[in-house]
This record gives sequence, structure tokens and C-alpha cells, in this order.
Amino acid sequence: MGLTQHPPHITRLVAEIEAAPDAELTVAPKSFHDAASVLHHATEKGLKVQVWGGGTRSGYGSPPMPDIVMSMTRLGEIEAWEPGDLTLVVGAGARIADIESKLGVESQTAVLPEVPGASTVGGAIAAGASALRRGRLYGTRERILETTVVTGDGRIVRSGGRVVKNVTGYDMQKLNVGAFGSLGVIVSVCMKLWPVPPAGATVTVDSPEQASAIARPLAVLEENESTRVFLWGTSEDVSALSARLDGDSVDGLDWPADPSGPYRWSIRVPPALTSRAIGHLPDGWRYLAIHGVGDIRAASDDGEGASDLRAWAESVAGHLVVVEAPTDALQGFDPWGAPPPGLDLQRGLIAEFDPARIINPGRLPGGI
Amino acid sequence: MTLLSDLRQALGNENVLEEPLELYIYSKDASLMRGEATFVVFPQSAEQVATVVQIAASHNVPIVARGAGTGLTAGASPTEGGIVMVTTALNSLEIDSDNRTAWVGAGVINLDLSTAAAPFGLHFAPDPSSQSACTIGGNVANNSGGAHTLAEGSTTSHVLGLEVVLADGEIVVLGGQAPDSPGLDVKGLIVGSEGTLGIVTRALVRLLPIEPEVRTLLLDFPTVEEAVATVTEIIAAGMIPAALELMDQRMTTAVEKWLHAGLPIDAAAVLLAEVVGERESVESEASQIGEIGRANGARDVQVATTEEHRALLWKGRKSAFGAMAQLAPDYYLHDAVVPRTKLVETMRAIYEIADRYELTLLNVFHAGDGNVHPLIAFDASEPGINERVHKAGDEIVSACLRVGGALSGEHGIGLEKRDLMRMAFTEIDLDAQARLKEVFDPTGLFNPKKVLPDGSRCFDFGGVRREVPEGAWV
Repeated sequence: MGLTQHPPHITRLVAEIEAAPDAELTVAPKSFHDAASVLHHATEKGLKVQVWGGGTRSGYGSPPMPDIVMSMTRLGEIEAWEPGDLTLVVGAGARIADIESKLGVESQTAVLPEVPGASTVGGAIAAGASALRRGRLYGTRERILETTVVTGDGRIVRSGGRVVKNVTGYDMQKLNVGAFGSLGVIVSVCMKLWPVPPAGATVTVDSPEQASAIARPLAVLEENESTRVFLWGTSEDVSALSARLDGDSVDGLDWPADPSGPYRWSIRVPPALTSRAIGHLPDGWRYLAIHGVGDIRAASDDGEGASDLRAWAESVAGHLVVVEAPTDALQGFDPWGAPPPGLDLQRGLIAEFDPARIINPGRLPGGI
Repeated sequence: MTLLSDLRQALGNENVLEEPLELYIYSKDASLMRGEATFVVFPQSAEQVATVVQIAASHNVPIVARGAGTGLTAGASPTEGGIVMVTTALNSLEIDSDNRTAWVGAGVINLDLSTAAAPFGLHFAPDPSSQSACTIGGNVANNSGGAHTLAEGSTTSHVLGLEVVLADGEIVVLGGQAPDSPGLDVKGLIVGSEGTLGIVTRALVRLLPIEPEVRTLLLDFPTVEEAVATVTEIIAAGMIPAALELMDQRMTTAVEKWLHAGLPIDAAAVLLAEVVGERESVESEASQIGEIGRANGARDVQVATTEEHRALLWKGRKSAFGAMAQLAPDYYLHDAVVPRTKLVETMRAIYEIADRYELTLLNVFHAGDGNVHPLIAFDASEPGINERVHKAGDEIVSACLRVGGALSGEHGIGLEKRDLMRMAFTEIDLDAQARLKEVFDPTGLFNPKKVLPDGSRCFDFGGVRREVPEGAWV
């Protein structure tokens, strides 16, 4: 189908989006209704849609060649932010870096990934990406209070609410975290914010066990060359706590980026097995591990050793997930690993929200 | 085979109740609404739960899961009849202290879990006031909160996995100790679904380390407004205390008469604040909270000096509902949430509504997260009072929604609030929720008529088109 075959209310949304994959049509909706029109049109015509935020997590689940790329960048306004309520309502296309720097003015954070690059709020949520602070401040899922999504057949569905505690109806807003848009493309979210205390320190230690001198540090991060404990609080708290750790302390929170390379991986294991998982990484892999959580982000120059690592991870009820890999490089290696239980339920749920299965089809575990 | 003989064969005679008095006991929870149990069963394992689910399906009889029956919204009342499935025999408990998790049977009592975890230096964060009676299964079903969920979140943030019996009798284990299980977070959807999607038999929960230090403060204020302003300012100062609980004078008076916890009954409001953490930080936070309180008009700031003193202050808070018995035989408790910055105007509106309907209304609530618990004490035998109580209740909920609030913060929707769901959601939103329910429970036998109002699933595709802008090429 050529461009002229698309109706004018869709073609008026055509946009040029840097680094987006090639597609017949690249659009950037300016309103929820625009997004609904695009998806409804795609459903009617059976066109595959890839939803595009900042492109930083676009390698998850081997995305198929899309017919339509829908960029969310024009839906990135702050709709409501009441610092006293610690809540923020923001369009999904907002860049995390922009949002966090605005929140920082009032010493608040949305606890989204610390080194976000170009990634967007909606993209991080759809991919289920969490901050390095998740061991202390919980993952992204726990910070989502409300979502508004546009379903494959063009409905605009809101769930949750704009208050920090709420059990009104089913928790669909949390179900959208990590769903890659399969229950509807996230267009707006309300997040629970957190205050940022005045002081922070980063302490280099010899081993992660040293961090046990502190009941609940902000993060304990291990990389190939170093292990660091991240602390925050008042300046008195922070200096007292860093004195308890036998290590070099520097002021401020110097967050590392996830390791980079042509192949990127996410290893997820029970928290107590974090060090063992690091021991199982193939030679030459670079890693960033969150102790106490079991979240290990790794990168490598090739895929060698990945099968053995996955076999071990799955033997301890963990996972090895492909975050990024060169096209066609990992033939026969499922991006997610063994399919999770309850796949029929997942299919059933998705069928209610994306009946023609047009939003990121095939990107979920089990090839859904 | 009859339903009764099927159940007896599957569970043994001793685990099936059928006497009228026994059925009567299990025909309601702690709400005011009574249903009618056909039979009451006590399965001893997940497999037996699965068998009962299959038996119920073959006889087309509803199943209402029940823990300790402390729920306040008729979520566990068999208002459509059917089998009441009591989960208290599902009481296994395995703590994994290395991973700070536990697999807990649905019937384990909330406080027993924290007591069992204490020797490992761990505890379970959600702590509803009913924690000495309520079960983990009930907590999961209602996504329960409590006084200490301000900093740590409600039950959903502490459930890592679930063992669930689905409508076809299949037993599935969802989630696990490893973070971010690939695929849709189905277990997260089941948390808070009030027994309408499946029957939870075990939960894998997160345990948190017991903080090294705790300081509990009691601040008393000449006005409710000043107490609320203190709460707002504490949060604005960048602190998230472990708890920020508020009681008004009517409530402290009732509690004090009963418990003698040392609450200042001449204060218009008291604020119970608790900070936890390392010694250095609790000391600075406690003194900061005291200063903020005084600057906002607090007459006195007590700091609990011993564990006994702290326990007594908390007992005063957590026994608030028990203290109601001396005021009136019945009470109706609300659970709405408002944005924290709207607390002062909401409190004024609530008092005004109660005065207008000439009702006795007391307040005890989780001020830190804006979760208000206006409580109306009354005598149901007084002619016409039930209607007044309900009308006032609806007005209170409306007032909370008007300022951007929610229907329920931690008690759930159940039967009590399901018809109010239309105030919170559009037709399309409710239809989406009804679709979820249908995927899990196509025949509608799990806790029917709860959570969603009748007619939620009414949105056919013809209606959907209304969402597409005019002029759309469809």
C-alpha cells in the first residue's frame, strides 16, 4: 500500500523521526485521539505498528519490520505536577532526562533510569526498565499510579488514579509496565515521585558484602573494575554512613551507564545469587550488577557463551534476556528464553486490547 | 452427585460445613452486608482448592474466597450465594532469609508472618490495623495497605509471585524471586482483584530488613488544619516518614476512654509520626518533624522513649475501630483517598456533611498518603438512620473524587462501592476492566457482582467508533 492509500487524517501526522526504523509510514500523533486514529486505521488494514520513544530499548524481543512507526515524541507535555502531592502526570513521549531535570528543581525524582540517554518515560515503562535505585526505592512498576493507553482498536482507556494509594478497580496501570504496548500504547502516565535529600555520596568498597554495614543503602553496584555503595540523606547522615564503610568516598551520586556493545543482555536472578551470576558471565563480558536485586545488565562483542549462561540462569529460576543484538545474529536463540507460565492468559488479555495484534506484534515472550 | 456429596468426597466431611448456624457465621465479612452461603469449605491444599473450583463449575455455583473475614466492603460476603472457601488451612510458611522472601500460604495471618521473619531481622511491610487477624490471602486480594505503607507501598509492591487456581482448575505459579519476569505481569493484576479472577493459594512476598532505629512521635494540635499542614510540610521538606497518622478529637476521646494510651484528649487533632532508619538519620528527622510541628502550632511533641511507650501509642491508633463499640453498636467506615494538598478542604467538607445529616463522625487516617477514614458511628435500629448514613457516605466519596481523589485506598471495592465505580471511570474504562474479568473467569463464578457494577461490559465495537475523531476514515 502506498502512502496515498492512507487517509488524510493519518497522513497529516507524518513526521521525520531521527534513527527510527524504516517503514512505509512514520507518524507522530499530537493528541490521544490522533494516536487512536492511527491505531484504528492500522487495525482495519492489518498494518504492523512499532511504537517509538527514544529508541534506546528498540532491540527487545526482535521487533518485526513495521508498516507504521508511531513516534510518541509529540506527546510529552507535563499535564500536572503538584510537588506537595508527590505526583506527576506526563505525556509518554517526554524524555526522562528533561523530566528529571525539571523535577530536580524541587528536589524530587520520578525514580526512572539514572542514565537515560534519549529514552522516554513511556518507553521505559513499556519496556519495564527500572532505576539503579530500585533496591531501595522500588522498580518502575511500583511507581506507576495511573496510565492512559490507546488500544489497538482505538479505545482510550484510563486505569488507576492520581493519588499515591489506590485500590479502585483492577491494577491495569501496572499491567502496562513491561507490556510493550500490547495492552495499548501508553500515552500518559501519573507517577509517584520521591524527594531527593540534600546530600549524596559514592563509596568505593572492596566487596559488596561491606555494604551490609548499612541497613538499606540507596544502591550497591558492581562493575568489572569496582564495587560502589551509593548513599543519600542529610550531609550529616551521609558522612556518618560513609565513615562506616571502609572505602574511598566522593561527594555526589556518580551513576554509571549500562554497559554498551553490539550485544546487550539483561540477566535476572534471585537477589542472593547476584555474585554467582557474575561468576557465570562469559569471559570479556562487561557488566553492571545491582546487588540485593538480582538485576545484571551486561554487554559483549559476540554471543558466545550466552546459551550456557541462559541454561544456568533458568536452572535457578532466573532469565537471560536479549536487550540488543545485531540483526539475524542470534538465529534460533529466543530473545526471552523459556516462555513464562500462563501464556494462554497473556494471549487472552492481549486479544481484548489489540485484537488484530498490530502493536509490536511478536515482541513478547512466546512470540506473542 | 449433589454438590454437597461432591464437596464431602473431595475434602472429607470435616472440611465441609452445612449447618444453618455455621453457614450464617460465614455469610458476611466485617462489613454490614450479609449474603447466604450454600456451603462453607476448608480446603487443605492448592490441589483441593482446584478440585473445589472444578466442582463449583460443574454445578454452576459461585465461589467466594475468604480469609479471616476482616474485609470492610462485603468482598467476602456470599451475596450471590455459593460456596464460601475459607483459606485458613493453607498455612505453609517458608522463609528464605538470603533472598529476603517468603512463600506464604494464603491463610497465614499477617502478623504471624512478621513474627516468624523477626528472628532473621526481617518483616512484612503491609500492616493493616487488622494485622493480628487478617490473612495474607486477604491482603493480596485487597491490595491491603496499613499505617506503614506510606514509605514502602501497599501489598502489591511486596508480592513477587503467586500460586493461583484459575477458573478451569489449573494451578499456575506466576512471578518469582528474580526481578522482572518476562511477559505480562499477570500476578500483579491478580493482586487487588478481590477474588474475582482466581483463588490465590500461596504468595511469594518480599521481606524488608527491620530498620536499626525507630522514633515514634506524638504531636498534638489545637486545630485539625494545623495538623494537616504539618503533614504537608514534612513531605515538602523532603522526608517520607515510615508513618504519618492522624486522629481527630472525637476519635482520641473514644480511644482514650477505652484504652488509656495517654492520648491528649483536649487536642483537636493528634499526629502520630514514625521515622525509621540508621541512628544518625532518625535523630535528625525526628527533631526536624518536631520543629515543623511546633512551627505549625503543635502544643506538645512527645517522643516515645521506650518500646512499651511506642507500642502503646500504636495500640491507640490501631485499636481505633475497636473503640467504636462504646459509642454506638454499628459503624460505617470510609476509605477514600485525596491528594495530600487537598486534605484540609476535604476534612472541612466531611465534617460539614456529617453535621448536615446529624451523624456522629470521627476521623482516624493515614494522613501521609491522603487516605482518609471518616467513620460514622450509629445505631442501625434507629428508624431512617441507615439511609442517612449511606447518603452522607456517598456525599463524602463524591467530595473526595471532586478534588481528584479515589474511591478506595486500601479496603477495596467489593459490593459496597461497586456502584460508585461509574463516578471514577468512564464506560470505556469499565468495559476494559470487565474484559479482563472475562478472560480469567468466562462463566463469572469467582466472587460474582464484586468490584465492577452491573452492565460494565456493554461496550460493543459500534461504541468504540465514537472515540475516533470526526472525519476519520474508518
